[in-house]
Amino acid sequence: MSEDTALDDAPDMAAAELALGLLDGEERASALRRMLAEHGFAQEVERWRAHLAQLFDLWPAMDAPPGVLGRIERSIDGSDVAPTATVPAKRSLFWPAAAGLSSVAAAAMLVVIVMRPIAVPGPASQPVPPIAAARASMLVASIDRGKAGAPVTAVYDPNSSDLRLTPAVLADSDRSAELWVIAGDGVPHSLGLLKTSGASSFKVNRDNRARLAAGATLAVSIEPIGGSPTGLPTGPVVAKGVLSQV
Amino acid sequence: MVSGARDCRAPPERASFGAVTDSPSAASGAFASDPRARLVAALVGTGDEDRSAFRDLYALTSAKLFGICYRICGERQAAEDVLHDVYLTIWKRAGAYEPHRASPITWLATIARNRAIDWRRAQAVRRSSPIEDAPPILDEAPLASETMLADEASHLLHGCLDGLEENQRAAIRTAFFDGVTYAELAERQNVPLGTMKSWVRRGLARLKACLEG
Repeated sequence: MSEDTALDDAPDMAAAELALGLLDGEERASALRRMLAEHGFAQEVERWRAHLAQLFDLWPAMDAPPGVLGRIERSIDGSDVAPTATVPAKRSLFWPAAAGLSSVAAAAMLVVIVMRPIAVPGPASQPVPPIAAARASMLVASIDRGKAGAPVTAVYDPNSSDLRLTPAVLADSDRSAELWVIAGDGVPHSLGLLKTSGASSFKVNRDNRARLAAGATLAVSIEPIGGSPTGLPTGPVVAKGVLSQV
Repeated sequence: MVSGARDCRAPPERASFGAVTDSPSAASGAFASDPRARLVAALVGTGDEDRSAFRDLYALTSAKLFGICYRICGERQAAEDVLHDVYLTIWKRAGAYEPHRASPITWLATIARNRAIDWRRAQAVRRSSPIEDAPPILDEAPLASETMLADEASHLLHGCLDGLEENQRAAIRTAFFDGVTYAELAERQNVPLGTMKSWVRRGLARLKACLEG
């Protein structure tokens, strides 16, 4: 049986396949594009992740080698440069750079997605942007505007603390659209005002960097010109979405 | 053979659900009356950059997370490096953890699995067979009384997996626990890629119908 024949009537299970980690190459890129473009698809991926998480119960524990906690704490304190700096093996020195490559590939793809219409698939050989040191995973959110229009895509790069949003007009000319992050404390923290034309980009400050993680909510409220006078949203929330890792 | 094949016998009834154990050694300091509450407290404290809460979190979870890293990475040194990276990530991100939205151990285990898969995918050479000395995947979830209870989960997934055909169930479990792609699954089972995709897609479709049914 040829590959095509076998797949002819197989159902589209891309959301589950992405959640399981089965996909690579162009299939993975395609599923990630759908995650940004289709709100329902992104929700479906989250549902699968939640279901599959039940399997973590069955994963046997193994004692971690002694000394790891001490090395982690030294890394936190900044006295130990990188996780692998203490490892003499050549292989181990190599892998963080290699691991970074997949993040770079993902980042390159996201740049492609953000910079041009989502429906246009980016070729795999797009030039890699100059973020070769990237190690933390990019986060994305599809900020849903309901019936007001297509979702706004937010992409956050933890390595550079840059948060970018695709162009959208969310407030009329006598008001401002303000972006908030709602994380563990349940309190909205302002990230800044959206531009009235073109893409918006923010350099995220230290406090908000800790809040921008998978599961945190991004929301846009309508505020007086110049932003909320109180430090908390005062107007209606017109769009929101949840950050997830890519 | 697919490593999941030996793990496929899930019991018809599960005494507990959504439960996650810790190893006896790591849990030795963790017999609080409510292990999950202690874990949430440790994670929230870590989010506040409380170093003693972070140490408690490590004691409670490092064996679970190392088990995940080791199985997917397939070698101790890499698993140790990835574990290091995972806890640095947790230290930085714990402030964003929302206790009401996600079980703490699921949140942590997901970070570990993703990091380990990132490492694995970056390797040029693929492992064509599962590692030999990783502890086998458990047949059933541990008793709730011994664990950090995860309240959002249920036995639903386990029961639905039991309803799949053997090749579908084994492939889905292997993908989850070994962190492998379609290409590797097909290679391990020595079947054409299209055949493997077809098995898995049909299995996932049945699983979805069962989970939503």
